[in-house]
Amino acid sequence: MQKTTKRVSAAIIGMAIATLMSCSSQETDSIKIALVGPTTGPVAQYGDMQMTGAKMAVERINATGGVNGQKLEAVVLDDVCEPKQAVAAANKVVNQGIKYVVGHLCSGSTQPASDIYEDEGILMITPASTSPAITERGFKMVFRTIGLDSQQGPVAGRYIANSVKPANMAVIHDKQQYGQGIAGEVKKTVESMGINVVLFEGVNKDQKDFSALITKMKSADVDFVYYGGYHPELGLILRQSREQGFSSRFMGPEGVGNKDISTIAGEASEGLLVTLPSDFSKVAANADLVKAFEAKGQDSSGPFVMPGYAAVQIIADSIKATGSKDPKRLAEHMRSASFDTPIGQVAYKENGDLKEFQFVIFNWHADATKTPVAE
Amino acid sequence: MSDALLQFTQQLINGLTLGSIYALIAIGYTMVYGIIGMINFAHGEIYMIGAYISVIVIAALGLIGVTTLPLILLITLLATIIVTSAYGWTVERIAYRPLRGGNRLVPLISAIGMSIFLQNYIQLTQGSRDIAMQPLISGGWQFGEGGGFQVYLSYMQIIIAVVTVIFMGLLTLFIHKTRMGRASRAVAEDREMANLLGINTDKVISMTFVIGAALAAVAGLLVGMYYGVVNAYIGFIAGLKAFTAAVLGGIGSIPGAMLGGLLLGVTESFTSAYLSTEYKDVVAFALLVLVLLVRPTGLLGKPDIEKV
Repeated sequence: MQKTTKRVSAAIIGMAIATLMSCSSQETDSIKIALVGPTTGPVAQYGDMQMTGAKMAVERINATGGVNGQKLEAVVLDDVCEPKQAVAAANKVVNQGIKYVVGHLCSGSTQPASDIYEDEGILMITPASTSPAITERGFKMVFRTIGLDSQQGPVAGRYIANSVKPANMAVIHDKQQYGQGIAGEVKKTVESMGINVVLFEGVNKDQKDFSALITKMKSADVDFVYYGGYHPELGLILRQSREQGFSSRFMGPEGVGNKDISTIAGEASEGLLVTLPSDFSKVAANADLVKAFEAKGQDSSGPFVMPGYAAVQIIADSIKATGSKDPKRLAEHMRSASFDTPIGQVAYKENGDLKEFQFVIFNWHADATKTPVAE
Repeated sequence: MSDALLQFTQQLINGLTLGSIYALIAIGYTMVYGIIGMINFAHGEIYMIGAYISVIVIAALGLIGVTTLPLILLITLLATIIVTSAYGWTVERIAYRPLRGGNRLVPLISAIGMSIFLQNYIQLTQGSRDIAMQPLISGGWQFGEGGGFQVYLSYMQIIIAVVTVIFMGLLTLFIHKTRMGRASRAVAEDREMANLLGINTDKVISMTFVIGAALAAVAGLLVGMYYGVVNAYIGFIAGLKAFTAAVLGGIGSIPGAMLGGLLLGVTESFTSAYLSTEYKDVVAFALLVLVLLVRPTGLLGKPDIEKV
C-alpha cells in the first residue's frame, strides 16, 4: 500500500514538474493570439476579412522584432458564425491556454463566447460584432474595434428620413441578434423623424423564397426597404424583387456590404445603400499598409480588415507598454491608454466600446464596387 | 378584378410554385417510406447535390460556348438526373442495404450520418460560399388593370409547375402501367412475400432510390434556375419541409406528397401575406399537427397495417 502511495505521489510530482517545465518553455517561444470567426459557412467571407487583417498585423509585428522579444503566433479557430460552435471554439481557446482573442465575428456568436472569456480572464477584442448587448453586461475583458448598431442604425435612419423621405417604408430583418437589433434601431430613428413604417417583419435565416413577402410589400406600395441582416438573404430578396417588378430601393448594414451580394443579386444590387465603417484603405496614413496587403494579393477595403489589424496591434501595444502578459492588466491599460491604429486614434469607454467610431453611407454597384454618398 | 383579389392571385402563384418544389422532393421521401418503411434523411442532401450539379453543368456549357437554351436545358437535365441518381443509388448501396433486415432505427441513424457526410463533403469540395448563377430564363407575363396591382407570373414559375406535373404523371404511369412498377407495389405491400414470389426486391429498392434521386435532381435544377443560388446547406431546410409535406399528405402516398407539398407552399405563402412572415413556419407546422390529430395517416395516407 505504502509503496503504491509513494509511487503515485512521485508520479504526481513528476507530472507537476513536467507541467511547470512545459509552461516555462512556452513562455519563451511565442505569445499566442486566437483569431476566431467563421472560416467556413455562409458568411465565411467576413471571417476572411477579419483574419486577413489580423494575420497581417501578426506578421508585421513579428517582422519588427515581435513583442518584448517574443513572437506573436496566430491560432485560427472556426465558429461558423453559430452560437453553439462559438462556445465550442471559446472552450478550445481556454483549453489551449490562450490568453488573447481577436474575434468573434457575428454578434450572436460573440455574445455566448464572451461569457466564457470573461469568466476565464481572457482578453477579447471583436473587430466586427456591432450588437450593443455585448458590452452592456459590465464585463471587464470584452472590447471592440468596431462601432455599434446603436451608432450605425441612427446614421442609416437619419439618412433615410432626411434624404430619401419614403412615403411607405418597410423594415425587414433576419430575427438574429445582429439583424433584428439594427433593424429596430433604424425603425426607431425613422419613426421619431416622422417616416411611416408600414411593415416590420422577420424572415428566416437560410430562407430561399421571399416571393410572398415581396408581393406583400408591393401590395402595400412600399417605396423603401431597410434590411437588417446578412447578404445571402438580402441578395435573394433583391433578385426576386426585380423579377416580380418590385422596384423599391433597398438599404442594409455592413453585414450586406460585400462582393457576394453582387454575385447573388447581379444587376439588382445596383443602387443598394449600405452603411459601412469608412473605407480605411483610402486613409493616407495607411498607404504603406495597403501596399503590404496588395503585395500579398489581398484586398484591404473590406469593412473588417483594418479593425482586425487594429485589434491585434492593440493587444501587442498593451503588452509592450505594460511589460505584463496578464490579460487583466492589459484590459486596465486599454481603458486608460490611447492607441494609434489603422482605424484611427483608438480610446475605450469603461464598458469596452470605442469612444468614437464612424459609419459612412455607400452606394453599392452591380460590379461590387462602392461609392460614398454625400449626406 | 379588385387589387385585393389580384394580390390574392399573386400569393397563390407564389405558394403553388414553392409547393411544386416541395412536392418534387417529397416524392423521394414518400416512395422510400412506402416501399421499405424507412425515412431517408439524406434525401435533402441528394436534392442539394442535384442543384450543385445543374449549376456546374450550366456553367460548363457556358464555358464551351453552348448558347441554345433548349439544348442547355436538355443536357443539364439529363446530366443532373444521371449524376444525382448515381448518388442516390450509391447511398442506398453503401449506407442502407447492409443494414436492411435489422432494427428499424439503425438505417435511420445511418441516414442521418449520410446526410451530415454529404453536406460536409460538398462543403469541403465546393467551398462553403453561396454559388450564384445569373438567370437563364427571365421575364414573364403581367396582368392587372393599369395603375393598380400587377400580377406577375414568370416563365420560370410556369416551367416549375409544368415540369412538376409532367414528372408526377410519368411516375404515376410508371407505377401503374409497367412491370417494374407492379413489382414495386408488390414490395410495398409485403416485401417478403414479393421476394418469395420471385421479385428481386433489392433491385426494386435500388430503383426506388434512383427514382427518388432523379426527382430530387429535377427539383435541384429548377431551384438552381429559379432562385439562382446554391450552397451546401439548402438540403437541410428543403428536406425538412419536403418531409413535412410527405407526412402531411400521407407518407407512402404519391398523390399525397403532391397535395402535401402544394398545401404547405400555399399555407406558407398566405401566412406571410395575411399574417406575418415570422409566423409562416409556426402556422405550417401547426397545420401539420392539426391534420395528424384528425387523420393520423395524413390526408391521403392509408392506415398502416402492422407488418410482421
